[in-house]
Amino acid sequence: MSEPISPIRLHKQLERIWMTPSGIGRLSSVNHTVLGKRFMVVALTFFAIGGFLSMLIRAQLATPHSAFIGPEIYNQIFTMHGTVMMFLFAIPMFEGFVIYMLPKMLGARDMAFPRLTAYGFWCYLFGGMILIGAMLAGVAPDSGWFMYTPLSSRPYTPGINADVWLLGITFVEISAVTAAIEIFVSILKMRAPGMALTRMPLMAWYMLVTSGMMIVGFPPLILGSILLELERAFDLPFFDPTRGGDPLLWQHLFWLFGHPEVYIIFLPAAGALSTIIPVFAQRQILGYRAIIAAIVAMGFLSFGLWVHHMFTVGIPHLALAFFSAASALVAIPTAVQIFAWLGTLASGKPKWDVPMLYVFGFFFVFVIGGLTGVMLAMVPFNTQVHDTHFVVAHLHYVLVGGFVFPMLAGIYHWMPHISGRQSLYRLSVPAFWLIFSGFNLTFFQMHLTGLMGMPRRISTYPSNWGWDWLNLSSSIGGFILTMGFALVLADMVLQFRYGRFFRRDPWQAQTLEWATATPPPSYNFAAIPRIDIRADGLEPARIGPVQAGGAGYLGFAREDRQETMGVDMATGAPEHVMILPRRTYLPLWTALATASFFLAMLFGFYALAPFGALATLILFLLWPASLGQKRDQGPVDIGMGEKAPLDVECDSNVSVLANRAAIVMDATLFASLLFGGLFLLVVAPNWEGMTPLDLPLWLAGTALAAAALAGGASLLARRANGRGGRGGPWLLATVLGQIAAVAMLVMLALALPEPTAHARQAVILALISYGALHCGLGGLMAGHGYWRLSQGYVSARRQTEMVLAWLWNLYAGAALVPALGLIVLLALEGATP
Amino acid sequence: MSRPDIRALVLLIAGFTLWSAAFVLLYALQALGCAYDWGAAHRPILIGTYLASLLPLAWLALRRPYETGEPQTSLSRAALWANRAALGAGILVFLPVTFATTCL
Repeated sequence: MSEPISPIRLHKQLERIWMTPSGIGRLSSVNHTVLGKRFMVVALTFFAIGGFLSMLIRAQLATPHSAFIGPEIYNQIFTMHGTVMMFLFAIPMFEGFVIYMLPKMLGARDMAFPRLTAYGFWCYLFGGMILIGAMLAGVAPDSGWFMYTPLSSRPYTPGINADVWLLGITFVEISAVTAAIEIFVSILKMRAPGMALTRMPLMAWYMLVTSGMMIVGFPPLILGSILLELERAFDLPFFDPTRGGDPLLWQHLFWLFGHPEVYIIFLPAAGALSTIIPVFAQRQILGYRAIIAAIVAMGFLSFGLWVHHMFTVGIPHLALAFFSAASALVAIPTAVQIFAWLGTLASGKPKWDVPMLYVFGFFFVFVIGGLTGVMLAMVPFNTQVHDTHFVVAHLHYVLVGGFVFPMLAGIYHWMPHISGRQSLYRLSVPAFWLIFSGFNLTFFQMHLTGLMGMPRRISTYPSNWGWDWLNLSSSIGGFILTMGFALVLADMVLQFRYGRFFRRDPWQAQTLEWATATPPPSYNFAAIPRIDIRADGLEPARIGPVQAGGAGYLGFAREDRQETMGVDMATGAPEHVMILPRRTYLPLWTALATASFFLAMLFGFYALAPFGALATLILFLLWPASLGQKRDQGPVDIGMGEKAPLDVECDSNVSVLANRAAIVMDATLFASLLFGGLFLLVVAPNWEGMTPLDLPLWLAGTALAAAALAGGASLLARRANGRGGRGGPWLLATVLGQIAAVAMLVMLALALPEPTAHARQAVILALISYGALHCGLGGLMAGHGYWRLSQGYVSARRQTEMVLAWLWNLYAGAALVPALGLIVLLALEGATP
Repeated sequence: MSRPDIRALVLLIAGFTLWSAAFVLLYALQALGCAYDWGAAHRPILIGTYLASLLPLAWLALRRPYETGEPQTSLSRAALWANRAALGAGILVFLPVTFATTCL
C-alpha cells in the first residue's frame, strides 16, 4: 500500500472510484459534494419562488382596498410563502451547506451514509414539487404555514389543500430527519485522526447541537401531521373538540417543533459566523469553550419556549410565567455568542471585505430581532401585539438577520471553494446596500403597523387607519430588497463564469476545507491529515500539497473501495476504516416508491398507498445487499505506519450509532403521542360522563409477553453470536415472537369499538398501531439479521446486524409498556374509583 | 472512548437534561393539579418539586472540572459553565411556582 505514487496518478485512481458519471449517470450520485450543491441549488430556487410570492403579498398590501388578488389566492400565497421559506429553503439550504462542507472541515471523504443523503435529496425534491405543483394548480395549502386546526380540518378545508401541506411537508421532512442522523453520526465518528472533540472547529459543534435538536425537534411535527392527516382522511377525531379532541393539541405539537426550529435554522448560521469572523478578524475565535456551553444552553432552552406562541389561548398564569421566563432567558446564551464575535473583532486586526458587509448586516438586523423577541417574551406585551404585523416584523428580523445575512456572508466566503474562482466584487457591494436598506424599509415599518393594530394575514385594509404610507413604503422596500437579491444572483453567475482563479485558501482561513483543491475533488483528500492542534488554527496552504501527495491516512486506492477513517468519538484516535457504498440508482428508486405512497394518500387512493409503502420497504431491504464482508480481515493498513479494523469488525461503527439516534428520534415521536393522549385525557372537552371501554385487555398482556420474549431472544441471539455460537435459531424465535405480538395487537385493534366516535378510541388505535408497527419492525430486523447470517455476513467479530436486531426488538418491547399502560388508563376512563 | 471521556461528554448535557426533565415534570404537575383539583396541596407539591430539582443542578454546577488532560479538561470546563447556566435557568424559570396563580 505504501509504495510511492505520483500525486496525479493517485488523484486519477481515487477519482475513478469516487466520481459521479456524466449524463443519466448523474442520477446515481451519492457523493456529498455533488448532493450538497444540488441541495443548495434547489433550496435557492425555492428561495426565489418564496421571494416571488412575497412580492405578490407586498403588491397586494401596497394600497388599501386592493383588488390585485382575491382573498382565496392571497391565503394560498402567504401560506406558501411561509411554508416554502421555512421548509423548502431554510432547512434544506443549511443541510446542503453542511453536507457539502462538513466532511471537508472535519477531514473526511464523505458523510456516513451517502445513499441516505441521496435518498433525502430526492425526497426533498419530490416533496417540494408536490407543493409547488399544487400551487400552480390552484390547490395550495391556505391555512397559514402552521396549519392551525380547526381551520385546516376537513369541515373548514374540504379540498386537498391541507393534505398537500401535511403530506408534502412530511415527505420533505424525511430529508431533514435523515440529514439530522447523518450529520450527528458523521461529526462524532468521521473526523481526521487526532481531531478530538475539543479540537473541532466551532461549526462542527454548532452542527452537533443542531442535529441533536433536529433528532428530538422534528418528531412532534411529524406526529402532528400524521394525526391531522388521519383525522382528515379517516375521521379519527384527535383535534375535533366535539368528539373529545382538542385543537390546542395541534398547537402544542406544532410549536414543540416550531420554536426549536427557529434555533435549528439560526445555529448553523451562527456556526458559519463563528467560522467567518475569525478569518476576517485575523485571530482565533474568542471564548471557544464559553461558546460551546452557550450552544448547549441554547439548544435546550429553545425547547422550553414553545408556549410563547400560545400566550393568548387561555393558559394559567403559572404556565405563562414558565414560558415567559425561558423565552427571555434564551437571550443570554445568544448574547454570549454575539459578544464573543464582537470581542474577536475588537481584539483582532479586522480586514474589510464583502463577507464582512453581510456580517455587519447580521449584527444590525439580528440584534433588533432579538430585542423585539425579548419584548414578545413578556406576556402583557405579547397579548397586545398578538397576531399583528409586529410579530411579522420580529420573525423576519430574526430569520433574515439570523439566517439570510449569514448565508450571504457564507456564500461570498465559500463560493470560491465551490467555483474555484473569486468574485470580482463589482456587484456584491451595491447588492448588499440594496438588500440591507430594502429589508429595513420593508420590515421596520411593520413594527409600527403592528403597534397600530394591523393584523397578520389580512388581504385588504381600510384607508383611514394611518397604515397607508407605512404599507406603501414597506412594499417599495420589498421590491428594493428583491433587486438586491437579483444582483447577488447575477454576481454568483458572473463569478462562476468570469471570476479569477486562485491557488489555495484565498482568505488565509485556518480551517481544513481550504486544504482541498478548489473546486474540490470527489474524494476531498487524497490522504487524510493528522490533526494535532485545534482545527480552526491550521495552515491549509501547507497541509494541502502534503495531503495531495498522499502523505497521511489512507493515501492510496485499495480494491476500488471508497474508504475513509472512523475515529473515537471524544479523542479522535483512529478506530476503524469505513467502507462507503458507491454510486447507485437505489436511492432514486426508493424515493420514487416513497413518492407513490404519498401521492396515493394525497389523491385518496388509500387502498394503493400500502403498495407504495411496501415497495419502499422492499427497496430499502435491497440497500445492504452490496455491503459487508464475508470473512474477518483483522486490522488493515491505514498509512502512517498504523493499522485499524474495517468498520464491520468494529462494535462502535456508524450503523450502530445511527440506529441508536434513530431510536431516540422514534422515542421522541412516541413520547409526543403519549403526551397527546394524556393531554386529551386531562384537558380536552367532552370527556365527561364516559363509561369504560369493553376491550379484551388480555390481548394486550399477551402481546406484551410475546414482545418481551422476542426481545429476550434477540439478546440471546446476540450473545450466542458473540461467543461464536449459533444465533440463527434465536433470531427465528424473535421473528416468531414478534409475529405473535403483531397478531395480538391487530386483534386488539379489531376489537376496539368505533374509533371515529371519540378521541379516546382514536388515541388507543394510534397507540396499538404504533406498538404493532414496532413489533413488526423488530421482527423484520431479526429476519434481516437471519438472512445476513445465512449469507455469511455475520460472525463473532462482524455482529452489526445482531446488535441492530437486539436494539429494535428491545425498543419494541419497551415501547409497548407505556403504550399499553395508557391504553388501559384510557379504556378505564369513566370507571368508578 | 474511555470512561473519563464519556463522563465529560455526559456532563456537558447533564445539567440541561435535568433542567428539561424538571420543566416537563413541573408543567405536568401544574396541569394535573388543576385537572384533578389538588386544592391546597397543589402549590406545596410544586414548590417541593422545584426545590428537589435544584439539588442535582446545584451539585452539577459546583463540581470541580476534570484536569486529567484533553479532551476531558476542555469538555468538563465547558460542561461546568453549561451546568451553571442550567442551575440559573432552573432557579429563574421555575421560580413562579412560588407565587403565580396555578390554575387561572
